[in-house]
Amino acid sequence: MDSKDYKDIIAADPSAPFDDSELSADERARVAAFRDEMQALDAKIKAALSVPIPELDLPALPPIDGSKEAGANVVDLPLRNKPRLTTPVWLGIAASFAIAAVLGVRFLGDQTVYPSLAAEVVAHLDHEPYALTVTDTPVAEHRLVKVVGRSGAEIDTDVGLITYARSCVINGKTIPHLVMQGKRGPITLLLMPDEMVDGAVPLSGKSINGVILPVGDGSIAIIGEREENLSEIEQRVVDSVTWRI
Amino acid sequence: MHSNADKERKLRFDRIVAVLYPDMYRYAAWLSRDASVAEEVVQEALLRAWKSLDALRDDAAAKPWLLTIVRRENARYFERKRLDTVDIDSLTPAQSAMIAGGEDSEIRDVREAIFRLEDDYREPLVLQVLLGHSTKEIAELMGMKQGAVLTRLHRARLKLKAVIEEMAA
Repeated sequence: MDSKDYKDIIAADPSAPFDDSELSADERARVAAFRDEMQALDAKIKAALSVPIPELDLPALPPIDGSKEAGANVVDLPLRNKPRLTTPVWLGIAASFAIAAVLGVRFLGDQTVYPSLAAEVVAHLDHEPYALTVTDTPVAEHRLVKVVGRSGAEIDTDVGLITYARSCVINGKTIPHLVMQGKRGPITLLLMPDEMVDGAVPLSGKSINGVILPVGDGSIAIIGEREENLSEIEQRVVDSVTWRI
Repeated sequence: MHSNADKERKLRFDRIVAVLYPDMYRYAAWLSRDASVAEEVVQEALLRAWKSLDALRDDAAAKPWLLTIVRRENARYFERKRLDTVDIDSLTPAQSAMIAGGEDSEIRDVREAIFRLEDDYREPLVLQVLLGHSTKEIAELMGMKQGAVLTRLHRARLKLKAVIEEMAA
């Protein structure tokens, strides 16, 4: 090996030890200088990579296997006896949606094609089943503000106990996916500032009921358990949401 | 009531996350080059880790296990959103903020140079310099041969060196 080979080794890992005794004194000096240079560069790289770390914001953790509860703050709301609807059932529900749903072909990032906004909304629920945790632990306020704000919306936190907030994609646009706690279980809210609907689009299925409501130039999907009385919630949700852009 | 097994599981998870969350976030931040995206990716990774915690046999292996989950979630995130690679000339406010942090202008220049690096070069550098992984561990995490990792690390440093010298000129 010559000094170039040693430099290649050093550039790949400046902190790794090696034996350069086979080199001449001059070559050793050149290799040592290169090593010093690379180690100085690494110190700068490390400093540059040290970005601030936000406070840990642990998501609501779903129960595992036989566990009946997700955490110490679980409240006594009726849980389903069976798991969330399976995909085939959801697809069946999607197919039975009101014809009033927005027609057209929708392409998502995963290249799934949906026949309507309603179908995409319902399919989305199955992407994040862990969001539907029964809990009385609110999502961190800064997270809620960030997720909702990212889409150009605002929500009044008095709307109810919001326990989940995440940015999701509907029809190629990033939208807030929220979950609030209802009387019969979790209620999903999808705030869609860019998705106009002509009128209320009902969503129904064996285990759920819901609606997509027109709100200004956008719409809000509200989906709860079959027995949940959403009419009590709909107006409260609509009144609490503002589109900023 | 929680069973003892449930409590033990949660305690184990909390213990691992408390130690390794900073590494998860920093890795996600430099994979995505966007602090907001990194938060989303880490949230998703934490959920995945929670659900598959029982697959982690040895807590001593928690770091590469968690970083692998972060890596996959980052890939899923960009696949879902179909985001292109970052264009250094049209950064989002979050990306600009990530570069702008800190007082030292030389370090800011280095950070911008790291931003400019291709993903293939930036990732092993982050794993080695920031997260302290050996080239063997990096090779396992990235699913590559160790020789290929060494080549990328070598090229990454020389590219950075060239860009920094160009900035300083």
